[in-house]
Amino acid sequence: MHEASIAQSILDIAIRECSRNGYERIERIKVEIGLLNSVHKDSLLFAFNALKTNTIAESAQLDIEEKPVGGHCNDCERYFTTNDIFVFSCPLCGGMNFSINQGRELNIIEMEVK
Amino acid sequence: MKIRVAKKILEANDRIALLNRERFKKAGVFVVNIMSAPGAGKTSLLEKTISRINGKLRAGVIEGDIVGTEDAERLEKLGIPVVQINTQGACHLDANMISEVLDDLPLNDLDMLFIENVGNLVCPAEFNVGEDIKVMLLSITEGDDKPSKYPLMFKESSALILNKIDLAPYLDVNIERIKRDSLKINPELKIFEVSCKKEEGIDDWVSWVIDLRDKGMKR
Repeated sequence: MHEASIAQSILDIAIRECSRNGYERIERIKVEIGLLNSVHKDSLLFAFNALKTNTIAESAQLDIEEKPVGGHCNDCERYFTTNDIFVFSCPLCGGMNFSINQGRELNIIEMEVK
Repeated sequence: MKIRVAKKILEANDRIALLNRERFKKAGVFVVNIMSAPGAGKTSLLEKTISRINGKLRAGVIEGDIVGTEDAERLEKLGIPVVQINTQGACHLDANMISEVLDDLPLNDLDMLFIENVGNLVCPAEFNVGEDIKVMLLSITEGDDKPSKYPLMFKESSALILNKIDLAPYLDVNIERIKRDSLKINPELKIFEVSCKKEEGIDDWVSWVIDLRDKGMKR
């Protein structure tokens, strides 16, 4: 259910940026969301579509790019990505000495406006 | 026309969390955000914790619930300032909700503020509210698969309190697995085993959190 708060934040930022740049309508918003945020894509779309009515984003489409979990293994010195949100060991070599540095993204990348 | 935006979606929340944090710092109050599933024992833990802190430090509570004031009433009996937030359906507290009630608390007179988040293992971990530390409470009746199913909360927390430990003989739960998996997600996690009902293990947790406050150690 945090999807509703996230959808509202996306709309707030997009509407502000649209007006600030002197445009009147938002047609598309692209966001990137890391898998570690446990954001359910369908719930986010549902919330976005419900909240956008009667705003300048009324006809906007939300494009969600899901980012995998990524990290670097200090044992095999390689970077890895995985769709598993629970990484116990390096998916490449099984080593335990690794750090996670990707998967918490929650960003608006760009949008199309008129 | 395409516009590059490149903004963090939760920036509004983070901005307000930062303002809350500045207010807490200025008032000299150490803030603990307590998160767990419904029924894990957050209110019981606070009752036991605050009754041990009372007399040494001045504590206050912000109580988050979807509806109702039952928990706040329980805590008010300890003679401390309690503010209730009803989220009206929202499954977590965010920085703005906290900011709106800060004027209702005598912040300058407090040493510690406990924020009892809405019972939920997912969303509260996403929203910083300006706290010094996040603490997760897990009752062992919830099962030993919780770290692997809800890793974010374990990752974000400074301490994990395992409650209802007195029930261990009656359950199939593997407490070592909970600890092992939690530490794999977050090697710095401090783990306490407590029973609020039997008043076991509470002193260890309380002296840890008081110590942390005294050191002014921030995570």
